[in-house]
Amino acid sequence: MTPWEEFVLQSRRSFLTSTAGGIGLLALASMLRDDRLLAEEAYLDRRINPLAPRPGHFPGKAKNCICIYLEGAPSQLDLFDPKPKLNELHGQKLPESLIKNVRFAFIQKDTATLMGSPRKFQKHGQCGMELSDFLPHLATCVDDICLIRSMYTEAFNHHPGQLLMNTGSTQFGRPSIGSWLVYGLGSESRNLPGYVVLTAGRGTSGGTSNWSSGFLPTTYAGVLFRNQGEPVLNLNNPPGVTRSMQEKTIAALRDLNQLHGQVARDPEIQSRIAAYELAFRMQAAAPELLDFSNETKETLEMYGLFRNDDGTSSRGGGRGVFHAFALNCLLARRLIERGVRFVSIFHASWDHHSNLDKELAFNCKMADQPIAALLKDLKRRGLLDSTLVMWLSEFGRTPLGENRPGFTSVSGRDHHPFAFSIWLAGGGIKGGQVIGKTDEIGWGIVEDPIHIHDLHATILYLFGFDHTKLTYRFQGRDFRLTDIGGKVITKMLA
Amino acid sequence: MRKVAVVGLLGWSVSLALVQAQAPRLEPSKAPLPSVTTVDFVRDIQPILSKHCIACHGPRKAQGGLRLDHPDLAFRGGNSGPVIVPGKSRESRLVRVVDGSDPELKMPEGGRPLSAEEIAKLRTWIDQGASWPKPESGPVALRSDHWAYQPIRRPPVPLVKNSAWVRNPIDAFVLERLEQEGIQPAPEADKLTLLRRVSLDLTGLPPTLDEIEAYLGDTRPDAYERAVERLLNSPHYGERWARHWLDLARYADTDGYEKDLGRPWAWRWRNWVIAALNEDKPFDQFVIEQLAGDLLPNATIEQKVATGFHRNTLTNREGGVDQEQFRVEAVVDRVNTTFAVFFGTTMNCCQCHDHKYDPFTQREFYQLFAFFNSDDEVDIPAPLPGEEEVVLPKITEHERQRQQLVQAIEKRRQELREQLPNWEAKLTESERAKLPAPVQAVLNIPAASRKPDQLKVLLDHLAHSDAMLSELNRKLQAHDRAKPTLTHAQTLRLGPLRKTHVLIRGDFLRPGAEVQPGTPAVLHPFRPRHNPPNRLDLAEWIVDPANPLTPRVTVNWIWQRYFGRGIVATVNDFGTQGEKPSHPELLDWLASEFVRQGWSLKKLHRLIVTSATYRQSSAYRPELEQRDPYNTLLARQNRLRLEAEVIRDNALAVSGLLVRRIGGPSVRPPQPPGISELTYAGSARWIESTGPDRYRRGLYIWFQRTSPYPTLVMFDAPDSNTCCMKRERSNTPLQSLTLLNDVVFVECAQALGKRLAESPGDLRQRIRLAFRTALTREPTVAELSRLELLWHELHTEAQHNVKQAEGLLGSYMPERVPIPEAVAWVGLARVLLNLDEFITRE
Repeated sequence: MTPWEEFVLQSRRSFLTSTAGGIGLLALASMLRDDRLLAEEAYLDRRINPLAPRPGHFPGKAKNCICIYLEGAPSQLDLFDPKPKLNELHGQKLPESLIKNVRFAFIQKDTATLMGSPRKFQKHGQCGMELSDFLPHLATCVDDICLIRSMYTEAFNHHPGQLLMNTGSTQFGRPSIGSWLVYGLGSESRNLPGYVVLTAGRGTSGGTSNWSSGFLPTTYAGVLFRNQGEPVLNLNNPPGVTRSMQEKTIAALRDLNQLHGQVARDPEIQSRIAAYELAFRMQAAAPELLDFSNETKETLEMYGLFRNDDGTSSRGGGRGVFHAFALNCLLARRLIERGVRFVSIFHASWDHHSNLDKELAFNCKMADQPIAALLKDLKRRGLLDSTLVMWLSEFGRTPLGENRPGFTSVSGRDHHPFAFSIWLAGGGIKGGQVIGKTDEIGWGIVEDPIHIHDLHATILYLFGFDHTKLTYRFQGRDFRLTDIGGKVITKMLA
Repeated sequence: MRKVAVVGLLGWSVSLALVQAQAPRLEPSKAPLPSVTTVDFVRDIQPILSKHCIACHGPRKAQGGLRLDHPDLAFRGGNSGPVIVPGKSRESRLVRVVDGSDPELKMPEGGRPLSAEEIAKLRTWIDQGASWPKPESGPVALRSDHWAYQPIRRPPVPLVKNSAWVRNPIDAFVLERLEQEGIQPAPEADKLTLLRRVSLDLTGLPPTLDEIEAYLGDTRPDAYERAVERLLNSPHYGERWARHWLDLARYADTDGYEKDLGRPWAWRWRNWVIAALNEDKPFDQFVIEQLAGDLLPNATIEQKVATGFHRNTLTNREGGVDQEQFRVEAVVDRVNTTFAVFFGTTMNCCQCHDHKYDPFTQREFYQLFAFFNSDDEVDIPAPLPGEEEVVLPKITEHERQRQQLVQAIEKRRQELREQLPNWEAKLTESERAKLPAPVQAVLNIPAASRKPDQLKVLLDHLAHSDAMLSELNRKLQAHDRAKPTLTHAQTLRLGPLRKTHVLIRGDFLRPGAEVQPGTPAVLHPFRPRHNPPNRLDLAEWIVDPANPLTPRVTVNWIWQRYFGRGIVATVNDFGTQGEKPSHPELLDWLASEFVRQGWSLKKLHRLIVTSATYRQSSAYRPELEQRDPYNTLLARQNRLRLEAEVIRDNALAVSGLLVRRIGGPSVRPPQPPGISELTYAGSARWIESTGPDRYRRGLYIWFQRTSPYPTLVMFDAPDSNTCCMKRERSNTPLQSLTLLNDVVFVECAQALGKRLAESPGDLRQRIRLAFRTALTREPTVAELSRLELLWHELHTEAQHNVKQAEGLLGSYMPERVPIPEAVAWVGLARVLLNLDEFITRE
């Protein structure tokens, strides 16, 4: 018997006796990879394929998620939450009792005054949802959208705020929503990462911690595609290497890594093996993913792929950001179609401390059309029912104008965690409704306050999870996305 | 958690009428003024201050930089300036903020207002001269009970049961804890694993075949220690540890921001770091020279070069930026980086306000700011050894040639001047009409009455259209561009003294109270030798053995490089929000030992890598996974994925391509197309290095801040914008694609494959050689046989289509080897360079 045959035999033995790790099982699967049946079984085995699909706690309506994250906190008062009273009171002070115990990043409390919005709000759709004139395209989708005007958060600064929205905790080291979902459900895509991150504009202040897998294995982390040039570098084999040679290379890597894994017993080796296998399959799948030739001209135009940038913005991004954002929206749909579980689109920044109206106009011109196109495109392809689309950010902006020292005029708003707006659509969400209400100046919530943990609980519910039961044991404690809070908001459900 | 909702609802309950109302204000003139005759500070004033003010303006908290618990501080005032003007209560902010006459601020914030009588007493006290008896002692320093600010004590080395395991005191501290937990340490890693581990850790390079052979042949009991000595004496030790220091120093080759211009001399400081580490410059001296080399008596050029440490700040050359704003930002970054690197403290918060968690104030931030506020950035000639002898004559020769050109140009102009009347005379009407208007205008003036500048218009016109002169000018320009120059270095130099003010809310347009250079009160005493204190005093204070933080922070980040995790896991936060040390006594013992050994880094490295703790096997211990998932107890070593640069170095080294030249300017190895083209920065143009520079180590790769080399980014190299004390270690399919397909790694496989194809021996012998070269160990039987299978598979594939497969050989065509075999060897090498083990320090 050759040593290789011995290895095969030994692997088979450990397959039969293995209780943990599945190392032998994997080796066997690899050896017998031509056997379709076994390969299928192996593919579905979590011990071999950490991304193997598996069911949730109950059947969920949502299968995929596209999370559009507008970093920096878009002004809800200029987009989603009309406040005629605020316009009336423009220039007046807020009573001290309101702002006494409130922190601001930059506002000088003593001289701050209310700032109305120059935007015009109108009712749209059958539901009559009011949106500002900065979102004309989104306005045509309101009957699919559930707008929440009563979100609140504890976090006050961007990075902790982003962590709380994306991972359920202001601390570093927790898994993001996407990581939890891919961990819970696996990925339907064998050829692409289960969780893809697309970015446009400047980097986010939270950076990779916003799509980190935290204490979950790194296999569940978001995979960041490049936002310039080719989304994925080094996709092509070197000259002279055929697909078949590459396959044999990958198989050898898997077996050799596996053999070493039996000694080192480091779970990270399993992630490495999975990464190589995925890389191999991505090589075949990505060119097709990135080949837009089968998209109609109408579709490309709908997403606004050919628009010229409306100038540049120091906050919203440099040249090419209109195209990049539109491309990301289209790419998100194509990724979802190919079974990718979770796509994050990040754009930075919406942090409009000054020059708000002009900067927000720039960002909205960039984002409004592609996002609306994405919703319509998903709908006409029958994908919206199973795809949850979200517009999220870390907090909102103040009704007070920002009178930061050094500013020559008041033209922006400061951070506002007490009340802000987000929206969701598709994936089991009941569209055409507004949830929650803020007071007449948009300072506090008067109806249906919804915390980030509640949002997370609801998202997990849509995917078929009881948020209290989707846990991961780490350092002797069962962690979950919703920490120790969260309740499902049934009003949101279709 | 629901607190915020309550705030929201509260907001609603306030009627809008109230919103419109102005906050009531107490008019000072209307406040009743009880008659107070004489005021005694101790009897009348101190109780008022204690009751209303000290909680926020005392030794525990100094809000707004103001303390009212001691006359020295009270009369100094807060961040905005003095608050007590003796004799003038109306001008004293202390009174104005409590009696309502200050429109912006009402004190006590959030507390009960002072009674009319109390206000009156304050007024009278100030009007009578604000007499405050001098206390016997100075102000009580800001206090903190937090462990990190307590002096370092050298704890006794504990006694352990299994004393045979202990190789040096590190092990006693680690084992004591393990024994408390009832855990056995892991067995020692096998010999070759250890050799590869320590080679990678100390030099960033794997052992060569010769080194492996020599080590295996060395049967002396101290063979390992000897290997350690060899590695510590290798010049590559300086490269390896310089890269770690570069992370901390946010080193890059460009400015950052939009324009991101190149910094052609940045590398000169990197050279200095490599040399300083190789000569084991004591860490205290290492720090002093980098922070204040220019201020040392009779500073050498090298000591000035060292100050390049703080020239790594970003520079914004975008149009329309306020230069003062970015000068201030650079100074702020110098304070932040200094405190991150040497104190494990995030000072950033204090730019705008007192630290929320740690005992540092905004005023103290600006006192530190003052040390750096008067510095000028200057690039000085800093020739390398032997350079002057070569370059200076070249400069002289260049200048001589330049003079010749200048003279030739002058001569030609003179000739043209002389030809002028002749040229003018010969001009026809139609020629004249075609001349530029200004020339025609001058020609219309009679020659005798032309002024010199008018004459010049004519002459310039002639010169412009003269082919010979154009050629000469072009030559001069080309000559000037080729001017030889001595190597320069970016340095800091103390310039004219600037006044430093607290910047209110960190805004450079809002200066508050003036401050003098000084150090945070919670730390050890500052005894400056200069007046005003300067950077040299600051540097000496940092390496004062009484400093509780610098030795701890330093040994901790070094420890982290060996174990993947610091004894304090939050290497960049030793404050109250950071994690507590896992082995506090070990940390203190190491810190005290580091100082006791004269701050020698090499001695510290030797101590760590020769410990039994370091030498343990890194194999996972499933039985400890739940108890100690992060391996904080150190019951084994940790497997660490190599850093981005080392992954490259390792591939180049085992393939034999690595060019081991130390130091010099940054290089641009091949990168995928379309990387730098997309950035705004013109300086990002990536002109690939040729020849040996393609194969230099990763730390020499040109670091373009706005579009860094993709392989570096892919494997988590820091962005170099701010101090990075801990790198991420991600694991993604994109990394796999890089190692499989990136042109650099493919070339490494080609080179290694060629060597294997040309090596003597049968298939198995050569696979063993390949394995040993790449992984510093013999393959197991199963591994050998799996690679053999692969070789045959690839060989068969290549035989099917020789022409196509040949492409994999690139320019590495082996001599007298059939192509399918050569291809199989390259393919096999490629697999070795992609193994998890290959990019892991076991």
